[in-house]
Amino acid sequence: MKIGIPRALLYYYYYPLWREFFTQLGLEVVLSPTTNKGILDAGIKNTLSEVCLPVKVFYGHVSALADKVDYLFVPRINRVEPKAYICPKFMGLPDMLKARLQQMPPFIDTAVDAGMDGNPVQCWVDCFQEVGSKFTHNHQLVNSSIAAAFRTQQEFQRRLTGGMLIPDALENDCVPEVAATSQQNYTLRIGLLGHPYNLYDAYISMNLIHKLQSMGSFVVTPESLSVDEIEDEARKLPKRLFWTLGKRMIGSALNFYASKELDGLIYLTSFGCGPESLVEELVARWAKQQGNLPYLMITIDEHTGEAGMVTRLEAFTEMIKRRQKHENHLSSHGEPLHSG
Amino acid sequence: MKITYPHMGNLYIVVRALLTTLGLDVVLPPPTSRRTVELGVRYSPEFACFPFKLNLGNYLEARELGADTILMAGGVGPCRFGYYAEVQRQILSDLGSEMDMVVLEPPDVSYKELKEKIRHLVGDISWWKVIKAIRLAWYKARAIDAVEEKLLYLRPRVYEPYLLERYYHRALHEIDALSHRRAVQGAVRDFIKKVGSMPQRSGEFLRVGLVGEIFTILEPTANYDLEKRLGLLGVEVTRSIWLSIWINEHLFGGLLRVSNECRDDHHLAPPYLNSFVGGHGKETVGCTVGFAQRNYDGVIQVAPFTCMPEIVAHSVLPAVSKDYGIPVLTFYLDEQSGEAGIQTRLEAFVDLIAAHSHDQKGGMLSGSVFGN
Amino acid sequence: MDLFLGIDVGSVSTNLVLIDYEGELYLRPLYLRTQGQPITAVQQGLVLLKEQLTSEDRIRGVGTTGSARSLAGVLVGADIVKNEITSHAVAALHKVPGVRTVLEIGGQDSKIIVLRDGIVVDFAMNTVCAAGTGSFLDQQANRLNLSIENFGEVALQAENPVRIAGRCTVFAESDMIHKQQMGHSLSDIVAGLCDALVRNYLNNIGKGKEINPPVVFQGGVAANAGMRTAFEKALETEIIIPQHFDVMGAYGAAMLARDQTSEQGRETRFRGFKVSSQDFQNCSFICQKCPNACEVIEIKQGKELLARWGDRCGRWSVTETEAGCVPV
Repeated sequence: MKIGIPRALLYYYYYPLWREFFTQLGLEVVLSPTTNKGILDAGIKNTLSEVCLPVKVFYGHVSALADKVDYLFVPRINRVEPKAYICPKFMGLPDMLKARLQQMPPFIDTAVDAGMDGNPVQCWVDCFQEVGSKFTHNHQLVNSSIAAAFRTQQEFQRRLTGGMLIPDALENDCVPEVAATSQQNYTLRIGLLGHPYNLYDAYISMNLIHKLQSMGSFVVTPESLSVDEIEDEARKLPKRLFWTLGKRMIGSALNFYASKELDGLIYLTSFGCGPESLVEELVARWAKQQGNLPYLMITIDEHTGEAGMVTRLEAFTEMIKRRQKHENHLSSHGEPLHSG
Repeated sequence: MKITYPHMGNLYIVVRALLTTLGLDVVLPPPTSRRTVELGVRYSPEFACFPFKLNLGNYLEARELGADTILMAGGVGPCRFGYYAEVQRQILSDLGSEMDMVVLEPPDVSYKELKEKIRHLVGDISWWKVIKAIRLAWYKARAIDAVEEKLLYLRPRVYEPYLLERYYHRALHEIDALSHRRAVQGAVRDFIKKVGSMPQRSGEFLRVGLVGEIFTILEPTANYDLEKRLGLLGVEVTRSIWLSIWINEHLFGGLLRVSNECRDDHHLAPPYLNSFVGGHGKETVGCTVGFAQRNYDGVIQVAPFTCMPEIVAHSVLPAVSKDYGIPVLTFYLDEQSGEAGIQTRLEAFVDLIAAHSHDQKGGMLSGSVFGN
Repeated sequence: MDLFLGIDVGSVSTNLVLIDYEGELYLRPLYLRTQGQPITAVQQGLVLLKEQLTSEDRIRGVGTTGSARSLAGVLVGADIVKNEITSHAVAALHKVPGVRTVLEIGGQDSKIIVLRDGIVVDFAMNTVCAAGTGSFLDQQANRLNLSIENFGEVALQAENPVRIAGRCTVFAESDMIHKQQMGHSLSDIVAGLCDALVRNYLNNIGKGKEINPPVVFQGGVAANAGMRTAFEKALETEIIIPQHFDVMGAYGAAMLARDQTSEQGRETRFRGFKVSSQDFQNCSFICQKCPNACEVIEIKQGKELLARWGDRCGRWSVTETEAGCVPV
């Protein structure tokens, strides 16, 4: 029995957990290929124009798996922590897929919901128990699979907090395009914010991380921070953010600002992302208050051209370098760089 | 202290009744105009939703008139509305236009919290006075809805639509000015009597259900006068959301029994949409099914550009449209929308549903009708 | 002969078509540039038509369509003022009775219309962006030193059409320049451009539409053989281009006028060819009565107010006593 996992959206956070669970359960896990032109085109073809790029990409990955598997794992992700959502599109995703894609293998679309007072572990345990019962009556097998899954996920998280970037930490099933080059010879330290499915999908981010590295930048992402570090800073907001990823971005930005170690900050957003439209605004406004920390927002969509991105990144890193060279002569209150 | 709040259709009448009865000095933003849009757009994030931008424009214009405090609702997500106030506060502060923001945060909105916020605003106040203020506001909300229900019914029927609009605005003005329940209800009766005697066309009229995001439905500036345009094209419009229904559900916890055609429609969202998705996404899908079951000729969905819950709803509506054979037209609206394009799409849609309703055997083979 | 006049006033061109009771074309269709002056364009069109009519000919009905349909309707006294989607659908149905899909690309906008059993069941139009429309093709042909007539032929000679990215004109243009600088052949670039426009069209307004044959392609851009081929390639079906593909809106308006007047047995409201020599003033003013600041448009013939529109409240649309425009 084969179960397909689309290499998109929360795959970048939870793949080790999912893979281990299904493997232990005795299923063969089939991962869709890395995003490519065909996958993106299939996604664009089957979604409304208004849908954001990462969801379009997800549709593409689902289509790519359609005739290769017996089941598709597309959980309805409401809340992976109490009182915070990812976004409405994650909550409606299985329904959106069903309305638009025909001739699909059955969806395993069990909800993941930490509710108002659940926790980030229990919500997956609940989900897996329900999923497990679809495949076996052996409760013990389900429980041991869940335990193994969490062990694998912990190892993955250890790798991340140890400084690995997500693609490297997923090494066994690595995404070779973005496998990090050694981050030793750098001249700049650039913070990079963005949802994992944008940052680490080398095709849609057009290899942004690698590009920055080859321009001599050490790239710091939210993944280098522990959940507690992020939460502690995010808690300083006057009102708690009710978006998990948004909270992660804000908490990371505040960590970056507090550490004062960055030479610049880049925020990669996708066109049409609702939460980012507000979260990015706050991050940008606060960057200005950090002695005008050089800041660049890059919005990607299916029409983004690679040439334009390279130009922007080069201009951004050049500007920082020149600014540092003339640091003493430059007013620290010069015009901030805000580029879209 | 001079208090203001953002516009959403005729909500200003209801909130003004509440706040002035409590003894507050209300500074209403000027009606949302092109200038409001320009101001709001200039200082808002580019991809924030349209209501965010209009709110901000309202605040800035109210501030010019001397307002120093903003009353606003919050939320717990996942719709962006719940975080508007936080970002707007930062923007106002960066502009050097700081204002005190009093945000009513559900689900903690209770009489207790309301009273605390009110105490913050007006100091000690008797319960009785608070209840009196809420009651007057409520009757005004009901009055506005009664007037508008009649308006939507009559728009396609009367020979003098502009006279009807004038009576309507006069009725709103009276409801706003009156301060006793009986007088408010009297104004509604007068309106209904007066417009009821206007010369009318007889016969069958095309019926269209209006679904979507609440702000866009209730605020004519945000929906480019969609209801009026449809009325003038000879269509009777039924809203899925009314001001008083919304107040009852969100502020009174559904305490009052208020009848509404679409009240139970959200149960009809499954199998098309099986989960709450924030905002009114589930209601949009459920009401579309409801309108189809009640044999409406078409459904129009309106939403701000980039509205997440409505994009989810929109994504599944083709399936509803196909199963029930009901044409559905979706509009994403913001400051970039062109009036000519909206009018042309509406006219074409009305032609389409007219042809469709005369020729049932043609059926809806292609599924949905989505004017981009 | 009894004739019906259809007038399509768009932002780029103004077309006039005469048909008889059978829906057959009478005289050659007229194709004028609107050049931002819809009134003058309509008047010129009427002059040119009248010159060709005999004393036997009678106009029995007039229909207007296009973005200036209301203005044109007031001017000539139209029996029916119809949106361009319905007009295009009606014309396509007359020319290709079983048509199930109409692709229309004009000067500044484009649309798709889906029909089943002679009824419009689905449509979409794009007026926001001109990336896929005639104006953009004109502009790019110009930039590449090609006449727009040759553009399509050049595209057909392509061996390996290049892939041009970009949703809006600015980006598509810059990507095209990029491809030129990389040394691709002219025909490959032109064909690539046609492919890109068709792809954008299908991914934008064509999205989610059931595009079934027979497919009719109309509007000015249908003259472009490169675009036709690109559509045929993308849709894998034959594309039918009707004979008068560039005046289908006016054609449809004429058909609608015929139906309107003959079904109801009504006399036409046509104001006559004298309209072409009458003096019309159109002007606009910003209403100061409320903060909406509506832009009100006013049409006068001499001192007589013919119509006003553009106000949200309706005060100007009905009030004839108040002075609107200050005469210049």
